[in-house]
Amino acid sequence: MISKKIILTGSFGVGKTSLFNQFIYNRFDDKYLTTIGVKVNKKVIEIDGKELSLLIWDIAGEVSQDKVPNSYFLGASGIVFVFDLTRPSTYKNIANEIKYLQEIGDPNSIIKVVANKSDLVDEEKINEVAAEIQRPWDVITSAKTGENVQELFRELGRELIDAAE
Amino acid sequence: MRDSKPQVDSHQPLDRLREILLSEDREALQRIEQILENREALSERVSPIVEEHLEFLRQNFPKEFREVVDRQIDVKLKDSQDEILNVIYPVLGRMIRKYITHQFQMLKENIDRQIKKTFSRQGIFGIFRRRKSSEEILSEADPMHIEEVYLIQRDSGLLLGIASQQQTMDQDAVAGMFTAIKAFVEDAFRREQEELASIEYENYKIFIQNFPAYYLAVAISGSVSAKEKDQLASRLLRFAEEEVLQLPSEVTDTVRTGFSQKLEHWFFTDKT
Repeated sequence: MISKKIILTGSFGVGKTSLFNQFIYNRFDDKYLTTIGVKVNKKVIEIDGKELSLLIWDIAGEVSQDKVPNSYFLGASGIVFVFDLTRPSTYKNIANEIKYLQEIGDPNSIIKVVANKSDLVDEEKINEVAAEIQRPWDVITSAKTGENVQELFRELGRELIDAAE
Repeated sequence: MRDSKPQVDSHQPLDRLREILLSEDREALQRIEQILENREALSERVSPIVEEHLEFLRQNFPKEFREVVDRQIDVKLKDSQDEILNVIYPVLGRMIRKYITHQFQMLKENIDRQIKKTFSRQGIFGIFRRRKSSEEILSEADPMHIEEVYLIQRDSGLLLGIASQQQTMDQDAVAGMFTAIKAFVEDAFRREQEELASIEYENYKIFIQNFPAYYLAVAISGSVSAKEKDQLASRLLRFAEEEVLQLPSEVTDTVRTGFSQKLEHWFFTDKT
């Protein structure tokens, strides 16, 4: 079994902690409690018979990524950038945010862009966001319903295993 | 009528001439071949020349090749900075610690000598019998006890090894949180050259020994005197020096088991 560090980042209130809880504990809580500092937890997943231990850092959301301490990103094999489909302010500057993450993160780290809160928008709204966003998302999720949450981390895990081999 | 003139081979005079002209060369060539094929004969001829060159190299190597060697060393040092740092860091740490301890010991002896001298003049004897310090009394009443030792990759916070005498919560998460706290504190106070060295709450302390690519975190209960703290730091440095020579690129179960056994041996068996 190999271990990998994953960072969950993005603006405040986009649902990082909800994704974290949904993935680790399969649960969702409607109450919003802002994350202070960092919360770290682990989940072991199995991909094609190989075990992978994912150490997930759920970090406090910031309006801009340059406000997050750079040291949090050190040694991270994967970075999950989450935005909220219902709040344009969380994705309007996405190209610069991703560029910044590529600069400060490990050059080999895999970045996934996640469009969260799909349960709150309809097809029309999703198409609207897709048309205006500067960088396409990798996966669309709902931490509330659990849609694509396990798939997001499994896909990331698969890519991490491939990269390690 | 048939021609009775004898047939003369037109090549004969040429062969003869070649034999006359080349016989000496052929003999010389044969001698060379014999030398080349005979190892002893060859060695007899070549060894003095090789020896002469070796001697020249011995005498002139620094002068002739210094620049090239220096350049190679520079490149190698530059490429292996992290590895070199990992190896020398514990050694340097021990040397600095030893030096500081020695200096403090000297200072203490000086003070003791001065006190003795000062008060002996006044004829006050007996009242300065050595008394235990409050730290020593505390340490005896509530002795220091190592609860857990973590070896953690510095940047990622991934757990490389653990030795524990108690069952705590998920040790991977603990290692990650230690790293997050360290990163937060170091970043919050913007002390680039300084690092978090301990975390304390009530009677529980986490003592941190930092190295370039990893750190050791020791959870301790009880009272810790300065002397015990110093002894623990020395042991951590020795552990790093002897057991953590190189870190693997991937953190696997095998890596973790190996380091965990070493930590167990160093901190929970009789190794001193």
